[in-house]
Order: sequence, then C-alpha cells, then structure tokens
Amino acid sequence: MKTIKIFAFIIGLGFVFSCEDQLNVVPEDNVASNTVFGSFATINGAVVGIYSKNQSGDLNGNPQLISDFMSDNVSFVGSFTSLQDIDQFETLATNTTIDNIWLDGYELIGAANNIIVNLPDVNTEDVTGLSETDKARFVAEAKFLRALTYFRLVNLFAQPFQFNGGSNLGVPIIATPFEGGEIGEFQLERSSVNEVHAFIEQDLLDAIAALPDDNGVRAESGAAKALLSRLYLYREQWAEAADLANQVITSGEYSLANDYDFYDDNPTSSEHIFVVINTPTDGPQDESVPGSDEVYVNFYNPAPGGRGDAPFSQDLIDAFAAEPGDRRFDELSQAATDAGGNDTFFTTKYPDIINNASDGMELRITEMYLIRAEANLQNGTSIGDTPLNDINLLRDRAGLSNLGSVDLDAVALERRKELCFEGHRRMDLLRNNLNLRPGGGSESAPGANKIIFPIVDDETTNNPNITQNPGSF
Amino acid sequence: MKVQKLFGTLFMLLLTTVAMSQEKTITGTVIDQTGIPLPGVNIVVEGTSNGTQTDFDGNYSITGSVGQALLFTYLGQKTERRVIGASNVIDLQMEEDAQALQEVVVIGYGNQEEKKIIQNVGIVKQEAIENLQVVSADQLLQGQSAGTQIVNASGVLGSAAVIRVRGVNSINSGSQPLIVIDGVPITDTATNTLNRGGNTGINPLSFVNPNDIESLTVLKDAGATSIYGSRGANGVILITTKKGRKGENTTVTLDVNTQFSQSTDVPDILTADEFRQFKSDVATIQNGGVTVSPEDLGLGAIGSGGTDWLGGVQRTGISQNYNLGIRGGSEKTSFFFGLDFQDTEGFIVGNDQQRAGARINIDSQVNDWLKAGMNLGVTNNRLNRVGIENNTNAPFTTAFLQSPVVRAFDDEGNFLQSGSFIPNIFARVALNTDEVKTFRVIGNAFTEISPLPGLTWRSEFGMDKLNLEEFVRNAEFNSPGGFAQQIWVSDDRWLTNQTINYTNTFNEEHTLTILAGLNYEETLRTRSNVQSTGFLTDDLRNLGSGSTPQVLNGDRFPSRLFGLFSRVSYDYGGKYLVEGSIRRDGSSRFGANNRFGYFWSAAAGWVLSEESFIEDLNFFDFLSLRASIGTVGNDRLGTFPSLGLFNAGGFGDYNGESGVVPAQRPANPDLKWEESETLDIGLKSTFLNGRINFNVAYFKKTTSDLLLNQVLPPGTGFTSISRNIGEMENKGWEFELSTVNVRTENFEWRTNFNLTTIDNKVLALNADAATDQQGRRIIDGPIQRAIEGESLNNFFLIRYIGVNPQTGDAEWLDVDGNVTTNPGSGDRVVTGSPLPDFSGGMTNTLSYKGFDLAVLMNYSYGNEVVIDGLRFADGNDAIGGIVNIRRQNLNFWRQPGDNAFLPSPNSSTFNLFNQRSSQQQLDASYLRIKNVTLGYNLPQSVLDRLGGIFSGVRFYVTGTNLLTLKADEMDGIDPEVTDDIDPLFQGESFFTAPQAKLYSFGARLTF
Repeated sequence: MKTIKIFAFIIGLGFVFSCEDQLNVVPEDNVASNTVFGSFATINGAVVGIYSKNQSGDLNGNPQLISDFMSDNVSFVGSFTSLQDIDQFETLATNTTIDNIWLDGYELIGAANNIIVNLPDVNTEDVTGLSETDKARFVAEAKFLRALTYFRLVNLFAQPFQFNGGSNLGVPIIATPFEGGEIGEFQLERSSVNEVHAFIEQDLLDAIAALPDDNGVRAESGAAKALLSRLYLYREQWAEAADLANQVITSGEYSLANDYDFYDDNPTSSEHIFVVINTPTDGPQDESVPGSDEVYVNFYNPAPGGRGDAPFSQDLIDAFAAEPGDRRFDELSQAATDAGGNDTFFTTKYPDIINNASDGMELRITEMYLIRAEANLQNGTSIGDTPLNDINLLRDRAGLSNLGSVDLDAVALERRKELCFEGHRRMDLLRNNLNLRPGGGSESAPGANKIIFPIVDDETTNNPNITQNPGSF
Repeated sequence: MKVQKLFGTLFMLLLTTVAMSQEKTITGTVIDQTGIPLPGVNIVVEGTSNGTQTDFDGNYSITGSVGQALLFTYLGQKTERRVIGASNVIDLQMEEDAQALQEVVVIGYGNQEEKKIIQNVGIVKQEAIENLQVVSADQLLQGQSAGTQIVNASGVLGSAAVIRVRGVNSINSGSQPLIVIDGVPITDTATNTLNRGGNTGINPLSFVNPNDIESLTVLKDAGATSIYGSRGANGVILITTKKGRKGENTTVTLDVNTQFSQSTDVPDILTADEFRQFKSDVATIQNGGVTVSPEDLGLGAIGSGGTDWLGGVQRTGISQNYNLGIRGGSEKTSFFFGLDFQDTEGFIVGNDQQRAGARINIDSQVNDWLKAGMNLGVTNNRLNRVGIENNTNAPFTTAFLQSPVVRAFDDEGNFLQSGSFIPNIFARVALNTDEVKTFRVIGNAFTEISPLPGLTWRSEFGMDKLNLEEFVRNAEFNSPGGFAQQIWVSDDRWLTNQTINYTNTFNEEHTLTILAGLNYEETLRTRSNVQSTGFLTDDLRNLGSGSTPQVLNGDRFPSRLFGLFSRVSYDYGGKYLVEGSIRRDGSSRFGANNRFGYFWSAAAGWVLSEESFIEDLNFFDFLSLRASIGTVGNDRLGTFPSLGLFNAGGFGDYNGESGVVPAQRPANPDLKWEESETLDIGLKSTFLNGRINFNVAYFKKTTSDLLLNQVLPPGTGFTSISRNIGEMENKGWEFELSTVNVRTENFEWRTNFNLTTIDNKVLALNADAATDQQGRRIIDGPIQRAIEGESLNNFFLIRYIGVNPQTGDAEWLDVDGNVTTNPGSGDRVVTGSPLPDFSGGMTNTLSYKGFDLAVLMNYSYGNEVVIDGLRFADGNDAIGGIVNIRRQNLNFWRQPGDNAFLPSPNSSTFNLFNQRSSQQQLDASYLRIKNVTLGYNLPQSVLDRLGGIFSGVRFYVTGTNLLTLKADEMDGIDPEVTDDIDPLFQGESFFTAPQAKLYSFGARLTF
C-alpha cells in the first residue's frame, strides 16, 4: 500500500514539468516590423500597403464628398452631425470625420516615410530579387502617394494659395517614420502653404524621374505629372500647368474614353491616369471598422442600399437643365427620394452599393484637357491646342454642340459638369475667389474661417507646437 | 450539597475508569435531529488514528478504552464528544449546526473556515440566491456583495454586464474580473461576435445555469487575489457549482416557471400628427409667420396616419424555464446532476434565446488516501440577436429615430421602404436573420491523494471549450443583392492545476497550512469570418450561393500562462492569524524582457472575541480585525501587445495584390504587467446573540505601471502606443450590515444591507501626455476626459444652462463662466462623473409560516450619465430634421417670458441647441427594486395528505425591476445603462434599450 502511495507521489512530482519554454508564442497573422525589409515580397507588400491605405474612405471618398457639398454641387441632407456641421460651416475641432481625414492622412504619410527613409538603406545583396531600380521605383511610388496626401491635407486644412500668396499656415511636414522613440520630432509646427507645396513639388519631381511610363494600375510618371499639373494650376503657374497637362495628353498612355463607362470597375480604361481601385474583397483600411470602409458610396446612393444623403444640389440640376441633352446628366444620374423625403437626383458615378467598392476618381485625362484649356486661356497661349478645341472635345463627347468661343466662365462650367462628385468644386471656387454657395453669405465666402477645416483636437492636444486656424473651434 | 454529591460521583467514576482501563468494543446508532439514521458519520478515538464510519443504518462499531473519548463528526452537524464509560453502547442524536454549513468558504485554490478568513472576500451563499429567478449568473451578484458593482448593460438578451470589483483599476486593459468556475478560469473575449452597437459583447456568464450554482465568492483584497497573480487585479469571482452530499437520500428538485417580460421605461416621443404640427409650427415661425403646412413640408396632412414605431418594436415576451436538479450520494460517492432548459423571449421583437444545459458533478472517496471526481457543465445556446444601440439594426434606436409619419406597410400589408437610411425596422427584424449559436463545455477532473495525514496532493485538469457560430443573412428588401455573413470562433483553453496542501495542528494551538502549486494554461482562439453578397433570391441562404464571397478574418490568437504559487497560513488558537502568499507568473503575451512577474501578499488577523477582555463584555459573539497588503497584476492587453506589427490581408492588399500596412500600434519591447498594490483593513463583528452582523473594510488600491494606449501625435502616423506609464488609485469603504429584526416562532424578518464608496484618482500620466489649459496631463475623449490628479472618469462638456426666457436663445457658459450663445470646444469643463459617490444593495427577507417574501434593492448615488442619443431626440435639425423627437420639444420658445425647453425657432441657437453639451448629461442616481419574490411552501400536513410523494412544494411569484426611483429628467431613460465595457466610456449611452421588467410564476417540487 505504502509503495503505491509513494509511487503515485513520484509520478505526480515528475509531472511538474518546466512549462517555461512553452511561453514562446509568435503571431500567426501579422508580420513583425523588423522583418518587413527582409524579402522582396514583403517590401513590395509594404508599398502595396500604402496604396491600400490610400483606399480609405477617409482619404478618397469623404474628402471629395465634403468638397462637393461644401460647395454648390451637392445638397447634403444626411444625418451625421459631423458632416452636418461641415455643411453648415459650424465645424469644431472635435469633428470626427475631419479627425479621421487628418489621422488617416498622417498614417499614410508614415507608411510612405517608412519606405522613403528605410528602403534606400536596404542592401540589394541581402534581399533576393531586389534591384536598385526596384528600390528607386518603390521609393518613387511612396513619394507620389505622400505628395497626393499632403496635397489633400493642405487643400482642406489651409486657406488656398490665393488667400495670401501661399505665405499662410499649411500643415506640418513629417518626412520620417516613427519607430517607437521620442515623439518630440513629430510635434512639429505647421509649415506655410508655399513650403508644403514645395515639398509636394519635390516629391512629384522625384517621382516623375523614377517612375516608369507604364506601371499597370500603380502610380506611373504620367500620374505624377498630372498631379503636379494640378498643383501648378492651383498656384496659378499657368505655363507649367499647361505644359505638364500637355505632356500627359501627348504621352500616348491615356485618351478620352468614348463613353462614361470608366466610373466603376474599369480601372484599365484609357481615361484613367490614376484611379483608386476598390474591390469587394480588399477589406477595410481601418482596424476599427469591419468590412469595407468606403461608406461614402452610401451617401451618394438613395435608399434602399444607400442612405440618400448626398443628392444633386438644385444649382447643379439647374446648370445641367440650362443645356439639355447632356450625357453627363442623362447617363450619370438617377431620380430618387433623398433622406429628407424630397424627390431629386443622385449621381451614378459610384454605383456599387452592395459592396461599397466603387472606384475613386483621382486623376483622369479629362482633367488634363481642362487644365490645359484654363491655363492656356489665362496665359494667352495655345500649348498643345487651343482652349476652344479642348473644351469642344469634351462637349462633343457629352453630346453637346460645339461652342464658337470660350472664356474662363465657359471653361469653369465645363469643368464643373465634367468633374462634379469628384471633389474638385470647392477648390475651383476658392481659387477663383468665388463664394462656395450660390447667393451664399460671409460664412461661405473665400477667406471665411470655416471654409477650411480646423486642426483636429487630436493634433492640438498632442502637439504643443501646432497653431489652430483662426475662428472659434 | 447536590453539587458536591455530583462531583463525588464523577470522581468515583473517573477513578473506576482509570482502574478499569482496557480495550473494548463500543457499538451504537447515530441519528439526526429528526430521528433518521445518519450514514457516513466519522468516528475517531480522540488522539489516535483509530476511526470508523457509520453504515447505512447509522450503526457503527469501534474499539476503545474506557476514559478515551469518541469524536463524532459529520458535515453540517455539530461535532459531538462522548467519553467511553462502562456501557458498551453509545447512541447519539446529532444536532444540526447552522454555523457549520456556512463555515467552509471557497477561496483561491482551496477552502477556508469562514471565521478564520483574513482575506477580504464577499460570499454569496446558496440561501441568498436559491430563490432568485435570473437569466444569467451575473445577476445573482447584483446588490448582494459590497464592493461588487454590476451594471446590466441593457435589456437586450445576451448582452454582457459590466462587472467591477472595487471600481475601475485599469484604463486601457480590461477591467472585468477573472471568473473561475469550479477551478477553471473561463475565457471572456468580447470580440467573438459581431459588434451590434454597444461595445459590450456577449455575456460570458450566460453559459452557466444559475440554478446549478451553489455559491459565489468575490475575492477582493490582495490577500485573496494575489494567488491569481497576473490576472487578479480586477478581482476574482469564484463560482462553485452544486455538489452531491455523501450518504444522503437522493433529492430531486424540479422547478418550472413562466416569465413575462416588458421594458421598464421608454421615452415619450411624438405621434405622427404631433410631429407634423411641430414641424409646421416651427417652419411657420421661421417663415416670418406665413403658414407652412405639413403638406408643404412633405409630411402629409394632419390625420393622414403614420406608424407607432416604438410600440411596434416592443412586446410582452413570454419565457419558459425548466430546471431539474438531482443530488445525493452513497457513503463514498456523491453526485449532482442538473438539467435545464430556458426558452426566453425578450421584450424587443426579434430577440429571443434558447438555452439547454446539463451538468454532472461527481466525486468519490475511492479509499482512505485517494479521492477522484469530475465537474462538467455543457451548455448549448441559440440567441436571436438584435442591435443594441447606435446601429440602424437596433430596434430601439431606430424606433426612436424613425419619423412617425413614415409608413411601415402599404395597404396590402407589405413592407414599405422607409425612404431614408433609417430603415423600416419592422422589415429588418422580420426578414433578416442574426443568430448566434454557441456550445460550451466547462469542466474539470481531479484526483486528490493523501499520502500522509494532513498532506493532500490535488491534481486537476480543466477545460473551457467554446464553439460559436454567428450567422447573418440580410434579405433583398433590406440589402439589395442580399448579404450573408458567418463567423466561426473556437475559444479553447485547457489547464492544469497541481497543488500540494499540508495542514497540521501542533500542540493543540498552532495550526499551520501550507499550499504550493503550479498552474499552466494554454488558450487558442481561432476565428473565421466570411461574408458574401450578390444573392439571386432570399431563398438562397448561405455564403456559397452569393456571387462575391470575401474572407474578412481568418486568424488564430494563441496565448499561454505558467504560474507557480504558494500560500502559508498560521494561526494560534484561532486567535492570532497570519497568512502570506506568493505567485510567479509567466505569460506569452509579454516580450522576453518582461515575461515573468512576481505577486505577493501578507495578511494578519486578530480574533478579539477570543480574548478574555472582550469575552468579559458579554456583548460580542464574534469580533475580529484584519489587515492585508499585497500585489496583483493585469494581463488583459491583447495577445501580442509588445510587438510592432504590420497587418496583412484586407488591411494591406490592393486590387488583388497582397500588401502590409503598419498596425496602429508601434513596438514597445519593454512592455510589462500592470500591477496593483492593495492595502485592506477590515473589522468583522457579530453581536446580540448573532442577530446583528456588522462588517466594515477600508481599502486603498494603487495601480502602477498602468498600461496606457498613449495617444501619439498624429504626425507619427500611429494612433497610440502601449506604455506602462500611469498610476491610479482607488480607495473606499465597504459596509455590510445584516440584522435579524424580528424572530418569533412564526415570523422572521431579516435585513442585509451593503454600501460601497469608491474614490478614483489618476495619480500620474505620462510626461508627454496631452495637457489641458491648466497644464494638467489628460486623456481626452469626445465626452469624457481623464485628468491627472482627478478622477479617471469626468464628463467634460460645454455647460448648457437653458433657454433664456427673454430672448428665446439657448445659452451656454463659456470656459470662464460667462453666458454665450455660440460656445466652442474650448469651453468644455468638468461637468459630472459617471462614478457614484456610493452604491450598494439591500435585501429584506420576511417569512411567516409557509410564506416567504424577499425584496432585493440596489442603488447608486451621485453619478451622472450622458445619453448621447439625445442630440438626435431633442431639437429640430438632427439628421436633417427627419427624425422623431421627445415630447418636451413641443415646448419651444414663442414669446418673452416663456420657460421653454427648446429655443425660439428664429434664434441663431435653434440648431445649435442639440450640440453635445451638458444638456445630454442627466442625474443617474437611483434606487431600484431589483427583485421581489413571494413564495409559499406547502406545510408538512398537506404534503402528507399528498401521499408523501413530495418532500417540499413551493409556489412563487417574482417581479424584477418593478420600480425605480430616479430623477425627473430621467423619465423614459434607464439609469442603469452603459454602452461600453471600456473604463473610459462608462456611463455613456446612445439609445441603449432599457432593462427588462419581468414577472414570473413558478413552482418548485422536491421529492
């Protein structure tokens, strides 16, 4: 009996094994940051990840939507108070929608900085299949996306170049990635609009030099040129704007599509210079949001399926009605009831209400014709072609008769009808010193405090060096 | 004289026995107080190892010498001592020992005699809970134990409760206590299911049948919790399920009841015609007095009908509960067998739950050195979910918001589209499916080997296996193209506890208990989450039938824990007690640098009532003082909190190409445990012949190395980083008073009262934290702000003061306290706190002959809630003015002198009125009659007349949440709501569904 007891006890003691080795457990569904630069696949993946970040509805979707309803293209009737406040020019620094634009913007910039700063130090001999050309191309792609994002931020959070010749405050320029160390170097003052523009210009010039002419659906040199052309247009550098737009038009990489069939699920259309491709299966870009987060598609579409928050404004309906037969209205709108119960029209440029996977219009060849026409007209030049021919080319596609002559108003109207719901209208009005709303008061006039966004609360409470925009935020 | 004689006789007897000291066989029969033979009574000859047990007929036989004493011991009976005299027969009738039944209390990795406990534990015994009818086990704790605060998040079935033991002890890590069922710490991952608004997840305690629970022990101070080391910081709740009783007749208890459920209170909102009139009146005023009719506004004519959405989403839910318990045992083996079935209907349409559970607990004394047993509970649950709040699928939220002029059905009774993003909720509930099916097994098997007297080695293997499937299928009507989503989660844990326990008493006065053990756990959570769109018809139900399937998640989260622990207790004559414990924990969650943590405690107690100077007072039945100090940790930080990670899959891919993006948190290899140090001082007393019990405790708990997701400047590209940077303190008092107010032959009235105060203070935040105007460090949120030197939870809002009767403008105060009509976010100040000044509960139990009445109340005082949804339910312009509003909005300012709720429609503040401010902050103090139970037990005479089939028959009625006393401004709003278990969002709600008001009728048969 006693032996059994002792035997059992010894077995038991033997069981008291050392479990400590069992405590080494590694993640199975993430890549640790120190291994990202270890292989070609993960380096390429980290670049792809920047494009993925750029898909976030907070960077491509909401800003365009907001720009269109802050101006006169969209009548916002929705319920999100954060959007209502923007619509009514009552925005506060605690506005969550704006916060997300700021945060996502700097997240993308951080991911791009990681490539731009760290990839050049990676020795090609250590990574199988990685060449210096690959490295240069990856860095150039990251610079293009960084430039795109800074341009978006400076347009939204700062008064335009026209306000004060660009000497007013822009946004902080962060050019290094955060790697867990001191946070002081990320609590920067705002640079001036001119400084931010210069930074964007340099990124794009670098990108133009290193990007291939054809890079599939990823950024190519034409995309960087097109974006730089837009920057020059906004800065009223007419010759440079017209020249770059002309370079893109004559590059042979892009051409006007015959039909308006490029809006959804057609990223390889010759129309596109750079398009934000959304697919049903590319998931959310935000850890906290399940499913696709391109929710702006909901706003643009009526119920059921959509929310019906962002129909055409009456002003835009009237603009189209003034010249009937415009295919850009007849083929790209639908009649429906909005969230406020009114019968109105909705755009069909973002039709995928099932998966919220409509593509985001970023840069397309039509804009280059419009920039070339406007810049030539402003400058009295005919780089590439005459403004009249450029505008008639677009009118012809829209099923409208040719004009005999064009002035700046005609170019602006054509630009509005062509690019409505694509987020251009607010800046087009502001840079031409026009009130955002037809018959609008001082709150929507150029230079008003709340035609731009406040620096968000997250920034002001975590960065002592930041300066808030004027106004009560 | 008589006394002298007696002494003389005794003396003679003694002499005789000494002289005649020789071994002989003693026999006898042991019966209980009712005269029934007691089998299994332990009988030992005092001071020897010579012992035996009574047989089934209560008979025994033992050899002993005259003058030696026999000790008769039996659980629940007073121990008897009989000296062997001349007679060879010692028969005995044992007496019930009411104290003894309660004496042994379950503590961490062991048991302890209640009066020798110097840990601070809250004990909820069977008699406190056996008559409570509850849906899930957490409700058993509500109002029952000081220092334990339970807030039922809502009346939606299956939603988790917020459980806090001594307040919030963490900011970014979890604050829910560790729940241990029969030695198995259960998993409680909140994100196993889809978020349906209200970040509270599914209730982990909905997997235990409340009827199977024997007792609950809440471990509060470090003396009690440090044995759980890295997981003890939020307190530990030990749940013990019913065990069999050795050598008792098998009893069968059948409990059947029917329950009716309704909502407690809902806001008063406008009818369709009131809504039309309001909108028309406002528009007319804004139009300079020129009439704007409801038709002009597209609302239809007065009298043209509408929909009572709020009425339509509520119902009287009818539930059935069946519960069967069988317990009994032979001499060596005892068992408990439980079976239950609950078919519960919530008061919200589309919300119901069916739970079937079975339990078998069995243990056997194999021989004098080996005991083996097993506890196993199996639960199968099917829950039809509805959205909880702030979610267009949440019936309550949507019914509040939906315009009453919107029609739900056409003339043929078909569903109509609402025409806005606020859906036809009737169609959502009727046509969509949202079903969660769970299967959970929690159990353990153990052996106990006693190789030497006083030494026990217990070897325990436990498991907690959860299989969960959530299936969502939205119909074409609600989601064009249809939508299906299915999530499979398995959250599995296995563990072993190996403990060695040694107890001995030396020289009759020195009792020493030593416990040493190890604990190893492996947890693996696996998740697949797939959605699919593009269905031809609603009849095609499942993922594979859609045209566009998408994998949203497919991942595994492994974690492991290894702990070594020891506890030593010593007491001198039950008068002076000391105890110390230590635990070393290692966890896979931490980087190699800080993988191991040490946690310790020391406690001392002094039972004053054993001292002669207290005994001489002849006042106290029991009086003790105790104090403890120690440390515990918190490991609720996610699976890999210290690593900097890149997310792959959907987060990183683009146009079909795989990519990675930085996760929102950068690396921090120095991350370590969050550690709390607790000081606890307590007094326990019983006096007036046991009629009054009064306990008081003071505690101070300091959490250092507080894990903070420190918000980073956005320029870093990250949202936050996990750092051990904070320090927080919780201190407070706990009072427990239980009294027997009246005790006569037929009538008894008992009262239990408890009260807890908690004072929370953030002692330190990180040096580079955000700062406020005064330079104090803060953690900022949209509604709340944590401030260094102040409480963690402060409502931080613009102060709303009301509508100026003269001007008709809504007015606020700016940061300097001046009246303004255009406040900004810089005008926010501390306006209130979601933390109560004190809270607790009171139970009154009355019994008269066969009747018993129990009234359980709980209360909370001095706290506020912010009902964020009021930004929509008040004012004219929310959501473009299409949403319904509360009735008080009809009272808008029309002329000077009006004391209006809403400003003048012509005021510039008319649309600012409902911006976030203290206007949505309401007083949440309440006193609630939580549970009233009236029972009637048939008297013995009637049972006899029924043929003696039943040993007990009880009929009862129960009412839950019958009455709530609260502030007037809380009309229609439940004070006991919260929409998030996150400590930083306590006391916030959007439109959380209120608690249920329940009535149940049932019978319990015992035979």
